Amino acid sequence: MSQSVSNGLRIQARLERSGFALDVDTAIPLEGVTALFGRSGCGKTTLLRIIAGLEHPPGAEVHFGNTVWQSGRAFVPLHRRRVGLVFQESTLLPHLSVRSNLLYGYKRTPEPLRRLHLAEVADLLGITELLERRADQLSGGQRQRVALGRALLISPDLLLLDEPLNALDTQTKREIMPFLARLSDKTGIPTLLVTHAPDEVERLAHRVAFMHDGQIERLEPLRDALARADSPLFRDEGAVSVLQGTLGEVDAHGLQTFGPPEARYRVPSTPGVSNGAGRPARLRIDARDVSIALSPPQDVSILNIVPVTIEALDEAPGHHGPARVLATCRQDDGQTLMAELTRLSTERLDLQPGTRAHALVKSVAFLD
Amino acid sequence: MHLRALLLTLLLLLPGLATASGPLTIAAASDLRFALDEILDTYREAHPDDAVRVTYGSSGRMTTQIMNGAPYDVFFSADIAYPQKLRAEGHAVTEPEVYAIGRIVLWSNRMDASTMTLEDLTRDDIRRVAIASPTHAPYGVRAKEALQSVGIWDDLKPKIVNGDNIAQTARMIQAGGAEIGIIALSLAEFPDLAEHPHHLIDDALHEPLTQGFIITRRGEHNETAQRFAEYMNGDTARDIMRRYGFVMPGEELPDDATP
Amino acid sequence: MFELSPTDWMAIEVTLKLAIYTTLMLLVIATPIAWWLANGRAPGGLRTAVQALVALPLVLPPTVLGFYLLVLLGPAGPVGSTLESWGLNHLAFTFQGILIASVIYSLPFAVQPLQQAFANLGRRPTEIAGSLGAGRLDRFFTVILPMSRGGFIVAATLAFAHTLGEFGVILMLGGAIPGETQVLSILIYDHAEAMDFASAHRLSLGLLIFAFVVLFVVYAINRRFDTVRL
Repeated sequence: MSQSVSNGLRIQARLERSGFALDVDTAIPLEGVTALFGRSGCGKTTLLRIIAGLEHPPGAEVHFGNTVWQSGRAFVPLHRRRVGLVFQESTLLPHLSVRSNLLYGYKRTPEPLRRLHLAEVADLLGITELLERRADQLSGGQRQRVALGRALLISPDLLLLDEPLNALDTQTKREIMPFLARLSDKTGIPTLLVTHAPDEVERLAHRVAFMHDGQIERLEPLRDALARADSPLFRDEGAVSVLQGTLGEVDAHGLQTFGPPEARYRVPSTPGVSNGAGRPARLRIDARDVSIALSPPQDVSILNIVPVTIEALDEAPGHHGPARVLATCRQDDGQTLMAELTRLSTERLDLQPGTRAHALVKSVAFLD
Repeated sequence: MHLRALLLTLLLLLPGLATASGPLTIAAASDLRFALDEILDTYREAHPDDAVRVTYGSSGRMTTQIMNGAPYDVFFSADIAYPQKLRAEGHAVTEPEVYAIGRIVLWSNRMDASTMTLEDLTRDDIRRVAIASPTHAPYGVRAKEALQSVGIWDDLKPKIVNGDNIAQTARMIQAGGAEIGIIALSLAEFPDLAEHPHHLIDDALHEPLTQGFIITRRGEHNETAQRFAEYMNGDTARDIMRRYGFVMPGEELPDDATP
Repeated sequence: MFELSPTDWMAIEVTLKLAIYTTLMLLVIATPIAWWLANGRAPGGLRTAVQALVALPLVLPPTVLGFYLLVLLGPAGPVGSTLESWGLNHLAFTFQGILIASVIYSLPFAVQPLQQAFANLGRRPTEIAGSLGAGRLDRFFTVILPMSRGGFIVAATLAFAHTLGEFGVILMLGGAIPGETQVLSILIYDHAEAMDFASAHRLSLGLLIFAFVVLFVVYAINRRFDTVRL
């Protein structure tokens, strides 16, 4: 990889717009997927546009590793930064076929720089059968996949996604997520994902930059972002835990093991999704689906019972009023698991930081 | 790159910017059209090697154009005031010379104007009266003076419609925009209009329509200009002018002899 | 019945030349103006001022516009006198002069449809094209032009048709010189003034039929493009 990876993406910019003032001074590692998370209007799209070169605020500094993109009077225009852009509305060029759309950037990329080619990208995104169709004959989900492919085919140094799933319905979003999730791993291209949807962050990101009122409040690995009860990711829909682990064999009941022995889960294997043993996966567990028992219950339908240590008890986010408590627990493999309980139960069980207990996890979802 | 295309287009236009020399170009007031056309025919027969062309229009407009470089060599104005102005401002190389005195007439293609007087214009059965613009057309100015002299201008104002120039005024009457109007005698003598009789307006009622011409600075060294100016003073031209109802300087109209 | 005199043919030639050159020049000039007005970044006040300026020729009486241009481009005016001092001819009463007048006079007819088309297009397609490595000219020809084809067709058509009918500006600035600045509309007027109504009718009818055919063909082509594009 190039030297630029080690130095990261450094941005320093101030911009006044009617409504807010953007004031950012940060360095983002150029590795994996970084989510820019925040409410609408917090400035995340503006920041993305500055990085892309679509906005040109005076005095801003944008450095991609060792390459200067903007500094003082110097400004590298958009079409010379090797940046892949995907917006919320796919904006495929309607007068071109899918193939021509995909190849638009590819043709303009100097040959030695082309690392990704049409066949593999089309395969990666599942759009090979769509190649000869006209751009305006596709569904919303198909269009976004083509837009992604188009951006990939310039073999960009950086991929910028501005709320790419926002305009799609839930079903379509669910269909596209796997493609997005694979992108970063398969292509190795660092990605910036602007989103206001926590589940997208949880599924796709390796680290999160939380933005609020034009400023980056915090930039931290996803794991840390999920380990805080007061994380902005939990604000709207409650707390969520994301567990990383390796998948095991599928048994006769269609269940598959996940995780190390000390924090073992049995999860239903989804037919159709390739579930090879030994494959890494991520599980998403809603805190509301987790209960706590002091001793492991015997005759209970819940399959996943995992020993944990209570680490902290806080007011549960995503609710009004103090009636619910969020228990931050640590599994024996070191990962964080959150449980949402009633205050009454917490008191009845006399749960304290340090208490050993068992987490009963009612349902999980794969993040792949 | 757009700039380059634009510059290229401009460059292509440049050849035309070089100085061009052409035939004798005459600017003439529109009331002269028929008379001058005929004179030009005879002139061309007499001087077949001379190329002459003429543009007719309003004297005011053509004066402005001459002041701004119009390619006219000789200017025949309906009102000598214009050539005088040109001379005063250095755009003419000769003193303004009177070539004709114009007359105004009452004319209609619906009524017999020869039996009418100016006062008849106030009749109820006449709804619209056409004159040339009393602000910028010489014939219109004189028409207004005449109407003022007989004291009917104010009463007539609501019925007045203005033609931009005297030829347009004549056309307006022809087309029915007005039942009757005051036009140039020279126009009324033109065959198409002459089928309808006219009433000659007493020239004591208005200032004389002294029509003058000059040779412009552009025409200074044009020999054809000189030749044509002389030709206008010759008998052939004067005869034609007379036939079209222009009064030659120093002469009188036969009609005037009888009141 | 359709015999035309040499003067008539000259006027037709001048008129066609004028209309074609004007349209071509306007497409070049109006496009960047329209884009800047539709999708530019300048402050709103400046854009509104430019928009009003562009629309001015719509408001001014043609003879007044012609008069200002006459003074400007003639030997007494700033442009004309500068040219004269360089040893060139001033621009009044020349084809080049009426071409300039024509471009100014039809400017709003070219800018407004283009501006509308560009505003509908928005900046997004060009931003995407830029991110895919297309420079400014590339973006214009591969994205903007094909996606706002309708706007270009309307702009060109209006500019062409409007020029065919120009009268006052050209008369004032051009002086109706046969073969140089005497366009069809002026010649028709002249025929009428001379009571030669037969010639006036001939030319008028010809002009009307020609204009109708051109407009019809253009709009038909435009519709065909639209249906294909869904």
